[in-house]
Amino acid sequence: MLQEESDLSLIIAQIVQKLKGSNLYSQLERQAWASLQRPEIKLESLKEDIKEFFKISGWEKKLQNAVYSELSVFPLPSHPAAPPEHLKEPLVYMRKAQGSWEKRILKSLNSMCTELSIPLARKRPAGEQKELLNKWNEMGTDEPDLSLFRPVYAPKDFLEVLINLRNPNYENGDSLSFRTHLGLIQVPLKVKDIPELKECFVELGLNIGQLGIDDSTQVPPELFENEHVRIGQKVLAEQDSAAAQQYIRQGSPTALRAELWALILNISSQPEDVLYYEQLKTNVIQHDLLVDSLIYKDVKLTASNDDYYFVFEDYLYQVLLCFSRDTSVLSHFAFNSASPPKSYIRGKLGLEEYAVFYPPNGVIPFHGFSMYVAPLCFLYHEPSKLYQIFREMYVRFFFRLHSISSHPSGIVSLCLLFETLLQTYLPQLFYHLREIGAQPLRISFKWMVRAFSGYLATDQLLLLWDRILGYNSLEILAVLAAAVFAFRAVNLMEVTSLAAAEAVLADLSTLKVMPLLQIFLFATVT
Amino acid sequence: MDGLAFPRIQALGIAAARGKEPKGAPGKSDSGSSRSAGGRVLGCQGAALEVECSAGRGGVVCLAAGCVLLRAPERGWRRGGGAARGIPAGRSSESLGAVSPQEEATIKQSDIRIMAGKVKWVTDIEKSVLINNFEKRGWVQVTENEDWNFYWMSVQTIRNVFSVEAGYRLSDDQIVNHFPNHYELTRKDLMVKNIKRYRKELEKEGSPLAEKDENGKYLYLDFVPVTYMLPADYNLFVEEFRKSPSSTWIMKPCGKAQGKGIFLINKLSQIKKWSRDSKTSSFVSQSNKEAYVISLYINNPLLIGGRKFDLRLYVLVSTYRPLRCYMYKLGFCRFCTVKYTPSTSELDNMFVHLTNVAIQKHGEDYNHIHGGKWTVSNLRLYLESTRGKEVTSKLFDEIHWIIVQSLKAVAPVMNNDKHCFECYGYDIIIDDKLKPWLIEVNASPSLTSSTANDRILKYNLINDTLNIAVPNGEIPDCKWNKSPPKEVLGNYEILYDEELAQGDGADRELRSRQGQSLGPRAGRSRDSGRAVLTTWK
Repeated sequence: MLQEESDLSLIIAQIVQKLKGSNLYSQLERQAWASLQRPEIKLESLKEDIKEFFKISGWEKKLQNAVYSELSVFPLPSHPAAPPEHLKEPLVYMRKAQGSWEKRILKSLNSMCTELSIPLARKRPAGEQKELLNKWNEMGTDEPDLSLFRPVYAPKDFLEVLINLRNPNYENGDSLSFRTHLGLIQVPLKVKDIPELKECFVELGLNIGQLGIDDSTQVPPELFENEHVRIGQKVLAEQDSAAAQQYIRQGSPTALRAELWALILNISSQPEDVLYYEQLKTNVIQHDLLVDSLIYKDVKLTASNDDYYFVFEDYLYQVLLCFSRDTSVLSHFAFNSASPPKSYIRGKLGLEEYAVFYPPNGVIPFHGFSMYVAPLCFLYHEPSKLYQIFREMYVRFFFRLHSISSHPSGIVSLCLLFETLLQTYLPQLFYHLREIGAQPLRISFKWMVRAFSGYLATDQLLLLWDRILGYNSLEILAVLAAAVFAFRAVNLMEVTSLAAAEAVLADLSTLKVMPLLQIFLFATVT
Repeated sequence: MDGLAFPRIQALGIAAARGKEPKGAPGKSDSGSSRSAGGRVLGCQGAALEVECSAGRGGVVCLAAGCVLLRAPERGWRRGGGAARGIPAGRSSESLGAVSPQEEATIKQSDIRIMAGKVKWVTDIEKSVLINNFEKRGWVQVTENEDWNFYWMSVQTIRNVFSVEAGYRLSDDQIVNHFPNHYELTRKDLMVKNIKRYRKELEKEGSPLAEKDENGKYLYLDFVPVTYMLPADYNLFVEEFRKSPSSTWIMKPCGKAQGKGIFLINKLSQIKKWSRDSKTSSFVSQSNKEAYVISLYINNPLLIGGRKFDLRLYVLVSTYRPLRCYMYKLGFCRFCTVKYTPSTSELDNMFVHLTNVAIQKHGEDYNHIHGGKWTVSNLRLYLESTRGKEVTSKLFDEIHWIIVQSLKAVAPVMNNDKHCFECYGYDIIIDDKLKPWLIEVNASPSLTSSTANDRILKYNLINDTLNIAVPNGEIPDCKWNKSPPKEVLGNYEILYDEELAQGDGADRELRSRQGQSLGPRAGRSRDSGRAVLTTWK
């Protein structure tokens, strides 16, 4: 009890600290001062009257949403005496593994620099700046020669790293025992089992209405959909982040999704946000970074070829190039096991005072990175808004999909959750695939790393991401991956090679996400 | 019924035409690809989007075939009765096999309907999506010189089939994929003429549909960009042009659909120059044929991802009187690969742009994975997400509505030949106020597949079309009532059925147009992109 109280006060202190520097804080202060002119504010009951004013004018809601947003993003408080790196990742071997993975990435990036003799960054000459500004809206038409560039890494490379991850304190002998994990991931982490998942995802239960199931043509809209839409409108009218998050667990109506997500992510798109985006754009125009070519290359390799997303190619550049310059992204490294790579001014290698983060946001894009942005283009057509939503999605969720950590939403836990679910509930399938050299994770890994973007039809993907936002967790990705295997189990039992198994699972665009999840979680005899 | 003959197309001519086909590398000369490759700005509407070269690669074939002289047959084939065709004329499917001449003689037309004989097909458009569908049904390929039941033909061939000189009649078991005078709908000038006439008629009747706003514009029937025939309507055009001198107009030759001869103007002097030039050109004799339509250019198109697009929707008409038409659910958007910027550049520059279209036809930007095509369900998801459900449903309702109106406009003049059905490619542009504009209708939508998805789509399109046009894949009888059961519609859904609609008053029609009563079915519209059927029919 005492512990809880002190935890709480710690959280409060942290949040107050953070909000003090925020724009909202100064806005609230200004409003409070301005309210003094109002007749209903009395000197004798000043504090209460101002509180009342905040409540009526909606500022209290904004403060609540800000606090709620902090709570969702910030990790649970650790022991007051714990060093800050514990916030990033409490397990030493995970931290070490992430560190050496970063070194590899950086080395690969540097060697590409040397090979191509291209600087990491350079200022663009005035003419080039002007040219880029002119074609800002059609960067896709530009065809720079990118044949020499290659993605720094692909999910496949990352999987190899995860497979080799070991806990040095865990006896992991060569001989098979009941403790041996038959999957690829060999580290012991606590992951949820089906009863726990059922409890966690209780709103996905069979008796609860779901968009993605109960809005199909066979179901009269009076049964669920109409009412659900009505509630959604009410939630939006209330502008309450917490209510929106609860609501979206049953899925968001298409027409309300953009607003609901913005509310949950606490993105309001103020004029200063637009200005901030414009500043980032200016940075892009002034400086050429090596990562720009990587971004170009990635978009060309992925989204530009995608049936759903090719239309948005130019938006992807507008978002991703600005993202790479955004130093505000750096703050998420406080709770990300990864650390931003450093680069040194030429000739000052190793001298800390000449160190800069590279790229400025500290995130090196990999093959498929742009697919995190692509589905959002269906929701927001204004680049600055699209940008904010993406950045928030990244620092809340997506970074966990390509950094090594023990977090329940981290990719290692997702892999383990996936393998455990499959091994527990479809042991024959798991065994069969393992025997033919088609470890299921080898197929499902890329789905999870991309949060299924580019694999599912967009409407289904958005229904899935609704639940990520609703539960503030990525675990649903592992559940879906297992559900997909379960759904195609009959065909998979017949294959005899990895290639054949991959072929069975090559096209997920016809899948309906919600029925799969619901059946796997709630209708499978366990 | 016997002794009916069908004109023979010189076999040589066809062979020659076919010989040409393989020259184009697959996908390269597809009209779809040229369209998506687009061009700068104008490319999109000017040439790439609005123009359907009648079937791309098929176009070569069609044109060549069209040039083939048709001769009166030296030996007419005997039609009907199945006798001359050697179709086993058993009374049940089990009794297939050799039939004696005596038996043959007793066969009546009515027997053919239940007969499980094999449909004999011909086509002068050798597309795999067609042939695979025919073969799947176990139909037998024959040449145009033989007896056939089903002929999927180019528009040039149909012209010859129904030409006055030919004077042939089809028999009851023969079906073709065009109406004899489909050009009433599919030729730009005639379509506009028919729609104008239709509006006037409605106005005369005092129909509420013909209501106008304070500026004299039709509230509901203004769905084709303002269009004039040139040189005939020159004075009218000048008058209109002067009303809004800053607007851009697009000039298109009437009959042709090759994308050639299309250009934009924004000054009267340009049109004067054009008419001078065409008079002094060496092709004076042809200048009569060189009729043009000039239409107001939609210069505020809806952009997605900053790009301009148009919609290609497939509509099947099985009969015009009574009108019965079906909408294919799987239409698509065709995107320009190049960004749209409203241009006010000079005519000469525009020509440069148009040249670009031709050059960019096979542009590097063309993507062979998606082909610049986006499904209509993507469009719906995007619009509903970014603009809201109501306006999106309204847009799709309006699209359906203008398609029906265009068909109603031509129904009275259409030769409703019972041997015919037709699958049209509707080209629609949506402006930034989410108003759909009917740009043109194609009688021979491209059947070339530019991508894997495209192939699936077009294969299914033909499959569903055949299921409706040729019930059960059996030897057709064109006297059937042409109302197929729901189960065979596939991805088609009934767009309008005049017989069903009768009894519904025009006031109801108007009300639902205004979105006040979308009716029970409209309320069932879905996120998933399933097309919404309104009940204004």
